[in-house]
Amino acid sequence: MASDLVNITINGTPLQVPAGEMIIESARRIGVEIPHFCYHPRLSKEAGANCRMCLVEVASPRKNPDGSVTLAKMPKPQTSCSLPAGEGMVIETETPAIIEARRGILEFLLINHPLDCPICDRGGECPLQNNTLHYGPPTTRYVEEKRHLPKAFPLSEHVVLDRERCIHCARCTRFAEDIAGDAQLGFLKRGADMEVSVRTGEQFTSLFSGNTIELCPVGALLSRSYRFRGRPWDLMTQKSICTECSNGCNIKLDHRAGRFVRVNARLNEDVNEEWTCDRGKFGMDYLSGPDRLTTPLVRRGNRFEAVGWDEAIRRVAEELGQAGRKSAFLGGIRSSNEDLFVMQRLFREVLGSSDLDHRVGPSFDAEPVIGVGQGQVARAPMSLVELEGLSLFISFGCDMAWEQPMAYLRVRKGWRRGALTIASVARHGTAEDERPSSLAPISAVRVRHDEGGELQVALRLLGEVLRQGGDGTAVPAELAAKAESAVTEQGADAEAVRRLALTLFEAGKGASDGRSVAVWIGEAARTNRQLPDILQTLSAALSAAGVHGVVQVPAMEVNEQGARDLGIAPTWLPGYEQADPAGRNSAEILAAVAQGDIAALWISGLDLATRYSDPAAAVRALESCPFLVVTDLSLTKTAQMADVVLPVTSVAERNGTYTNVEGRVQRFWKAYDPPAGVRQEWRIAAQIAARLGTEIHYASSREVLADIAARVPLYAGCGPDALGDGGVRWASALAGEVGR
Amino acid sequence: MAANGHSGGGDRPMDTVSGRFSPEAVAELEEIVSHYPDRRGAMLPALWIAQREYGGSLPAEAIKEVAERLGCPPVEVEGVASFYTMYNLGRRGRRHLEVCTCLTCAVLGAADTLRALEEKLGIKVGQTTPDGEFSLAEVECLNWCEAGTVVQVGGRYFGNVTPDKVDALVEQIRQIQDTEAVTQADQIVKVQLARRHDGTADG
Amino acid sequence: MGELRVLFEHRDVPGIERMDVYESVGGYQGLARAVTMSRADVIGEVKTSGLRGRGGAGFPTWIKWSGIPADQPTERYVVCNADEGEPGTFKDRELMLRLPHMVVEGLAIAGYATNSSTGYIYIRGEFLESARAVRRAIDEAYARGYLGESVCGSGHRFDLHVHMGAGSYECGEETALMSSLMGERGQPRAKPPHAPLPVISGLWQRPTLINNVETYATVPHILARGGAWYASMGTERSKGTKLFSVSGHVAKPGNYEIELGTPLEELIALAGGVVGGDLKAVIPGGSSVPILTAEQCRGVKLDYESCMAAGTMLGSGGFMAFNDRTDIVKLMHVTARFYAHESCGKCTPCREGTRWMYRIFQRITAGQGRPEDVDLLLSICNNIDGRSYCPLGDAASWPIRASIQRFREEYDYWIEHGRSPVGDDSVPGIG
Ligand SMILES: Cc1cc2nc3c(=O)[nH]c(=O)nc-3n(C[C@H](O)[C@H](O)[C@H](O)COP(=O)(O)O)c2cc1C
Ligand code: SF4
Ligand code: FES
Repeated sequence: MASDLVNITINGTPLQVPAGEMIIESARRIGVEIPHFCYHPRLSKEAGANCRMCLVEVASPRKNPDGSVTLAKMPKPQTSCSLPAGEGMVIETETPAIIEARRGILEFLLINHPLDCPICDRGGECPLQNNTLHYGPPTTRYVEEKRHLPKAFPLSEHVVLDRERCIHCARCTRFAEDIAGDAQLGFLKRGADMEVSVRTGEQFTSLFSGNTIELCPVGALLSRSYRFRGRPWDLMTQKSICTECSNGCNIKLDHRAGRFVRVNARLNEDVNEEWTCDRGKFGMDYLSGPDRLTTPLVRRGNRFEAVGWDEAIRRVAEELGQAGRKSAFLGGIRSSNEDLFVMQRLFREVLGSSDLDHRVGPSFDAEPVIGVGQGQVARAPMSLVELEGLSLFISFGCDMAWEQPMAYLRVRKGWRRGALTIASVARHGTAEDERPSSLAPISAVRVRHDEGGELQVALRLLGEVLRQGGDGTAVPAELAAKAESAVTEQGADAEAVRRLALTLFEAGKGASDGRSVAVWIGEAARTNRQLPDILQTLSAALSAAGVHGVVQVPAMEVNEQGARDLGIAPTWLPGYEQADPAGRNSAEILAAVAQGDIAALWISGLDLATRYSDPAAAVRALESCPFLVVTDLSLTKTAQMADVVLPVTSVAERNGTYTNVEGRVQRFWKAYDPPAGVRQEWRIAAQIAARLGTEIHYASSREVLADIAARVPLYAGCGPDALGDGGVRWASALAGEVGR
Repeated sequence: MAANGHSGGGDRPMDTVSGRFSPEAVAELEEIVSHYPDRRGAMLPALWIAQREYGGSLPAEAIKEVAERLGCPPVEVEGVASFYTMYNLGRRGRRHLEVCTCLTCAVLGAADTLRALEEKLGIKVGQTTPDGEFSLAEVECLNWCEAGTVVQVGGRYFGNVTPDKVDALVEQIRQIQDTEAVTQADQIVKVQLARRHDGTADG
Repeated sequence: MGELRVLFEHRDVPGIERMDVYESVGGYQGLARAVTMSRADVIGEVKTSGLRGRGGAGFPTWIKWSGIPADQPTERYVVCNADEGEPGTFKDRELMLRLPHMVVEGLAIAGYATNSSTGYIYIRGEFLESARAVRRAIDEAYARGYLGESVCGSGHRFDLHVHMGAGSYECGEETALMSSLMGERGQPRAKPPHAPLPVISGLWQRPTLINNVETYATVPHILARGGAWYASMGTERSKGTKLFSVSGHVAKPGNYEIELGTPLEELIALAGGVVGGDLKAVIPGGSSVPILTAEQCRGVKLDYESCMAAGTMLGSGGFMAFNDRTDIVKLMHVTARFYAHESCGKCTPCREGTRWMYRIFQRITAGQGRPEDVDLLLSICNNIDGRSYCPLGDAASWPIRASIQRFREEYDYWIEHGRSPVGDDSVPGIG
């Protein structure tokens, strides 16, 4: 709207900008870069404007008593990072006085700086170094002794702090308080003695600590794993996706000579903005791990023997071909969409099996998203951006910051703005209550229950909702009775549950339509198979009473959502079309294996022997499995039990796509060549199909994706040409939205 | 904008806090908390209470206790405590002598007074006597310049201190309870507590 | 012109710090009158008086008061800045100690005029004696109904709390004071043009009025006797009287109340004249204002405009006179140490610049000055001035710059000879 725009002039160029925009941003619009250190658009202004690097000269129109207007120059230069644009402002960024001021500020910043750029990790990508080159004084006039402080002080297992290099910009401390919400970093002391610190005697255990390394405009906060491992100019960078959880952070993968070096965040406003979490930032070392498999292995008695691909594929094709319908597939939650699509074609079309499941152990059998209304879009997982705008977020057995780091940041952002209420349901002694980054301390309602108490809480909540005006018409009588008796039962959290119900109705009030409430069911609550039914009933009762929301079992692994969407499930095909006949779920598959009812089992990217809810049962089943093939990067416990182990490419070694927790299909790109002896999983599957007489022919992963888009309506808008760098949410594409 | 500023809960006291605050201290804290719209407002007073309850200084446990009682991140509490000079994070004596050596006192001979005190106490500025009784520091303007040189000890100001008065001064300081750091903290807490608001105020 | 007691009229009456005595000399009449008037009329009276803030900047008090949105349905706060930390100033300390009811009365009037129901008096942590007097006055005022549920039966509620500082000069700066009052490190907050004024968004984002102790203490007199009466004193633009804390090389140091516009020499005379030598220099308004040579002092009048014209400022009224035994370089060494010690650390120029200057002074007064040091000091002053986050940086640079401009030969002497131009018994001695 025109009234929201103001006219300003920067260095003689008139322009229109939104009223209140910071001048440093306005200047960017016309290509004027104002040097700065402390400014960061995502960090609070209140604690900023401290480095004083971004000074500009400002004149503002002033009304005279006679009504005329004159331009009055402000006597002092102003920090453009905190100066909101106002009508008629005239700004100069390159006057002699400003150039002089910048030089003065840089001189101040440098007097106590150790100037050890040659041995500093930040050298080559350091804002202080760059600004000094452009704007700094050529020599120093400082002859006094510099400040001496401990070098490379370890703040945590990931981060070291070199206090001598710190320029006190408060980016890291603001990040900790504003964004991560753990407030573990702060300033101690004052004046020139002021220093960034964790609390004396504590560690920087934040789950988001790695971001401060990227935010720090000097080499004060550094990664312990990257320290001294490379110089920025020696590194190559490829766009990629973090593989450590389902949130799908866009990352820059730095590598050198075919080896992974480090992860930095890549901007994607809809996904991770410009953050990563520590699981991802420090968790991708496995890419160049010493235990990478580089050749197929075939079991001979008690030992594995390295074999060529031809032999390995022949062997697997033979066994699968013999097993036919009696073959089953488990896992796939770390494979690409392309891998999964071809793999399910192999099993369904070539082998005639419906026994596929991506779920590990007794997680929900129900659909993972229980939405309001009908149709695909309503069943879509909530978008990360949408989380910010909710009026109520309920975390149900979900250790948010750990399991869903970016979703956690979004929820926290919504809370900080003041419109989002948070409730948390979890076991007593949950990690959530101990973590520095956690929704627990900012939850308006906290329900804590004993081990296995999820069901009771859900029933009681249903009972309270029915009592307080929820619509019970659709609730089965038996369930209603159970819920009713749950309410009258005594229990420590009765009061908290009552408040939760009240909060639900409160949250429903404001929002007229759309999804204003979300319940996210985390790992801890997934073991309870009855829970989704109750929650679905609850959701129906609420929605009939005007409270709209989503009960969601968010994906946790990097491509768990892709595995769901592409039908790595016994009861549905790609795009959630009903499977006919339906197959068996993971528990049933393992039982069938143990009973000799399944002849060949393929496990992909999943260490079932350690990750299954009952590991001993999994091991027993696998031991009795006539033929086990495992695709993975390394020799996991499960792989060690296999008859054939097929090494596959990592995310860094090929192109492909993953689908993140919000149903966003995102590309990753090959960074460097794979080791000679590894292959892409989908190619392996296609080669096996070919051996068995069925051509599944694709020339590239791009062609696989094009075929997915052509054959799976859900992914129709997610073809290779549509994705761009930032990916596309299938729900948005279905709804005809552009750009999301 | 009704923004949520802080990471901590902020509005409710922690259910269980372990620490050294006596029940009276907790009651005092809660009265002072009621003066502010949020618990954090009581940060400075809470640190004063802690400095008293912990015997004149703020060890790490004191910081933690204040953080818990106010629902603030501990590093922020430490950040506040270490910002202000009157909180004692290190070791000071039971009676902390602070000699103003700022402008007026300095031109009236504060340096000489300081030297005399060093001699009398047998310690240098920044040190504590072996028995832990006295410590000595220079401070910036105490703003009683008409009486320079000014020496502050605990809750007391002593004016017009000259080198020849130092012996008597130290003896006097020993006698007065106000000069103890703990007493000072106690008095600072007390002036922030309202006395009776109904009948007549006491004397 | 000359000594003129308004605030100090009854300072020496025994027991004046207690309610009965204070009432007996007309105390709380100003408040009693105020609550019979409309809020706008109360502010109008302050406007007529021409009162300007006594905390240092001399900002017209009524403009602040009328800037508070008194009819919005939010909380509003009234804050008394009793953090007096400006070297050379000790008037607020005495006002609170001897005349605490005058301060409380002024605050209650401000609470009424701005429709605020909560007040805080932020007292410097070191000022325990004064704080005790204020505490007692507040308790007495509650008991008499001047504070509390219904101030003077007006139905207006006003609670007043004491908040003690903990040792930081910067907390006297009004936005840092707000940070401190909210339980944070005493670092300043953004002001126009970057953020709204405290009167719009101050403590807890609510409208907040902040004035100095002396400013509030003046208000009861204005309300009791009328703004016009107050405006009849002083000069054209500097109305009324002002307290000056006189210290240094004078015979009778202490607080003096004079009519604004009184000649500087007259204040020195009131304080018994210069002792121990001839007058060499004067810092008329606290350590933050530029130093004047004895020469420059001649004929200067003590009001905001005349001080400005003379190349200094009235500031907080911390008036320091120095005799000819005073070594200006050593004096500035002490000044530089003060600002380096009190810089909050938030912004670059003040954090780094103040410490750097202090280091240079240490070197010069240790006999290791270099010829380029004086210009370097000037350049550092220029690099701080106007570029720091809050005025502490400016205040650190002004006195040093002025001392170089006005006493450069003393710097040159130190650098050339490595010792004081004034002699071995010069003051200040440096520890
Ligand atoms: C570094 C610094 C210290 C200050 N210290 C004080 C102080 O101790 N007392 C005070 O009243 N004002 C002090 N001020 C001025 C306050 O910021 C503010 O202008 C004043 O309290 C407003 O009150 P007034 O309008 O009544 O003068 C200081 C300002 C600065 C920049
Ligand atoms: S450590 Fe880095 S990010 Fe933190 S304040 Fe220092 S310079 Fe800024
Ligand atoms: S970028 Fe503006 S002050 Fe630091």
